[in-house]
Amino acid sequence: MSIVLDQVTKRYQGSPVVNDVSLDVGEGEFLVLLGPSGSGKSTLLRAIAGLTEVDHGTISLHGRDVTHVSVRERQVGFVFQHYALFRHMSVADNIEFALRVRHVKASERRARRRELLRLVALEGMDDRLPTQLSGGQQQRIAVARALAHRPKVLLMDEPFGALDAKIREELRRTIREVQRELRMTTILVTHDQEEAFALADRIGVMNQGRLLECGRPDDLYMRPATRFVATFLGAANLLLGYPTPRGVRFTLPAAEAAGAGSPVEPPREVVAILRPEEVELAAGEERIEASYVGHGHVEDVLFGGAVEKLRVRMPVHGPVAASPGRDPGEDEFGSLLEVSRTIPEQREFPVAPGQRVAVGARRIHVLPTPVSSFTIVAADEAAAQRLRESALLATLASRMHTRVSVIFVPRPWSEAHERRELRRAPPGMPVIEAGPGSAAAAEWLLRHGALQLLCMPPGQSLPRRVVIQPSGEDVRDATMAVAASLLRHVPAEATLFGSQPLESPGAERAGYLQLLTDLRHAALGQSASSVRPEVVTGDVESQLLHQLDALPDTMLVLGMSAADDLGRERLARFLEGPVARPVLIVRPFDVHAVAGH
Amino acid sequence: MARSRFRQPSILPGFGLTLGFTTFFLSVLVLLPLAALVLRAGSLSLPQFMDVLLDPRSVASYRLSFGAALLAGGVNAVFGFIVAWTLVRYDFPGRRLVDAMIDLPFALPTAVSGIALAAVFAPTGWLGQKLATTGVQVAYTWVGVVVALTLIGLPFVVRSVQPALIEVQRELEDAAETLGARPWQTFHRIILPAVLPALVTGFTMAFARGLGEYGSVVFISGNLPLKTEITPLLIVIKLEQFDYDGAAALGFIMLVTSFLMLFAINVVQGWGRRRQVAASN
Repeated sequence: MSIVLDQVTKRYQGSPVVNDVSLDVGEGEFLVLLGPSGSGKSTLLRAIAGLTEVDHGTISLHGRDVTHVSVRERQVGFVFQHYALFRHMSVADNIEFALRVRHVKASERRARRRELLRLVALEGMDDRLPTQLSGGQQQRIAVARALAHRPKVLLMDEPFGALDAKIREELRRTIREVQRELRMTTILVTHDQEEAFALADRIGVMNQGRLLECGRPDDLYMRPATRFVATFLGAANLLLGYPTPRGVRFTLPAAEAAGAGSPVEPPREVVAILRPEEVELAAGEERIEASYVGHGHVEDVLFGGAVEKLRVRMPVHGPVAASPGRDPGEDEFGSLLEVSRTIPEQREFPVAPGQRVAVGARRIHVLPTPVSSFTIVAADEAAAQRLRESALLATLASRMHTRVSVIFVPRPWSEAHERRELRRAPPGMPVIEAGPGSAAAAEWLLRHGALQLLCMPPGQSLPRRVVIQPSGEDVRDATMAVAASLLRHVPAEATLFGSQPLESPGAERAGYLQLLTDLRHAALGQSASSVRPEVVTGDVESQLLHQLDALPDTMLVLGMSAADDLGRERLARFLEGPVARPVLIVRPFDVHAVAGH
Repeated sequence: MARSRFRQPSILPGFGLTLGFTTFFLSVLVLLPLAALVLRAGSLSLPQFMDVLLDPRSVASYRLSFGAALLAGGVNAVFGFIVAWTLVRYDFPGRRLVDAMIDLPFALPTAVSGIALAAVFAPTGWLGQKLATTGVQVAYTWVGVVVALTLIGLPFVVRSVQPALIEVQRELEDAAETLGARPWQTFHRIILPAVLPALVTGFTMAFARGLGEYGSVVFISGNLPLKTEITPLLIVIKLEQFDYDGAAALGFIMLVTSFLMLFAINVVQGWGRRRQVAASN
């Protein structure tokens, strides 16, 4: 391995800008770090070069731990966004700078300079001043300069950021050729996905300081694991679907969606991505060659050269309609479908705004995300509004690009009432308000098919800490998956709370700690907030509650296995205690089954 | 080329008017008084003129004036650079306050600075007392003159170097570091060349100001003939003795010498600039 990062964390004023990033880059590999501005990618690159110190973790270059080694000794080549050429020096002096400070003989310097200028196709420019060159030429010189001392690793920070489109493409080709010719391990940072696709052997997508996913460009595009990567790499429609033995269905009968369907097995809800180019449009359902999704109306059509871009408004399905006084169309989720069509497709079936069309999906990919959507379960509109407007739910919904729907269940929560209005938990994650009666509601929802449940005080802000307590082996994976998904969208410090039996000998304790470490890497590795394990003995629950009461701004993620007591008193300890806090309860589900679709 | 140079479109209208205004101002405020000075000095016969010029008291004053101004300019070039560096590169509590304080020597009447310095550095002053125990005397020696001129010249260096330093992006230092430069190499190969023109300008202005400075020096120098008498003081003394011709002669000498020195620095600077441009063609 050429570059190995192990749990690298960098904080600015307490908040992590690079958050527990682990990454291996192979010899001669071209890795592109892709992410929006502020995602920490440039900081990570600077950390590899040694221009920024890291707070935690190790950086190795070619097997040598260089975490505390000076920039000079790391022997990297670095290309800056704004070239950073020395303006008072000629091109020749710029390129020879690295050799000059190493006291290399003049004849050798000259030979190396010629070689580098040939490499970047700027022979004969030796005596120019940087200001006399175009932006593209300046960046080529910067690349040549960065290579002069024969570094083993080339790092480039948005090298095309300041250039216009045509030059950008040209320079991209040059850099790719140079990289191939020298077989040099290269990391390039960019926010431009087109650039990433054009250059990368592998792409690492970063967001909020975390390396979310890393893989081959086509793999990441076709099979992303997270909502962020799905929507950041190319356009994507996120849809809620319901897996059936014959594939994923996108509509549920209204009654079933509202939770009034058969009480046996609640429909599993999944998040599927449908790329705009995988959408098929036709006049009627029978003309659709791919799988039929539904009917919609063409909202607008935009001609963009080789492809036509249009948006199709789909009727909103699911339990949203149950909310009175709200236009179902208001809910943007899944209602506007982005479509792009090639010219032959346009010729075959021309459409105009307002036209009713049948929609088909050629290929969908189901995200292995454990949290699909939210359903507020409230007594009245005012209560629903309080939950909907809380920062926690609003942030989660907007960052997950997901739907928040509402169903009303009048209080008090009585058995007689339930049977009439609701026969099982709604799909997605039910959200209820903390307070008197919340334990009763939670008990009923969990007993009637809810796999997760969020109970929070109205107006809940974003938590600063998340305490995770998996309970029982079968729920461990599910809890970690939900917690990871939560932390991906709401950055917070995480504490993993674990117990061990009182009588356990040392060996078991070691085993437990090993398990903690494994969990941390397996489940939180990619979302990777700072995770602190905390192991206690004895009455875990009391100690957990005791600790929670002392920590403000804390959210609890609580795993409850099938064997766990779902009794109202036990739930009340967590949900109706003296200190109100958000609690996310997770029941066991098969994490891997979701990914299989 | 030659034509277009005078016909550059400009946001201020009326090239003729502005040039006329410039010439008029320069004539009335600068050239005319200087011409009068030269005329007045010219009323002396050559031997008389040489007498004034080569009078040991005069020669001693030249040495002090030019020497102290040069030394103060040099001190300012070093410390002004460091002050500018600190202000540009570091953010510390009270940075704006310090930044504003730099300009104080501009604003204070020079006599006030002089009296303040004298009070501090006099053998009875609180700093002078302590210095006296180590055998160093500042007030009433040439050192005092240098101290006064350093105070007066500091803002010139800081204010000319500051913008140039802001221009040197930190990225350039990062670049030098990744290319293997040691801190010292980064400084003298990257930072210094980039700010050198501004530093020379600042030095020149501080030096020129130091040559003509009077108010702040006379209180701390003690004005001992042949020892701590600066040329401007000598001129004032001659004026007080109604020796207008002698004063004019001394003034003329100062004028010529300062002009020659400033001109030389300008030439050197221009030569440096041209060399850079030439290297690029």
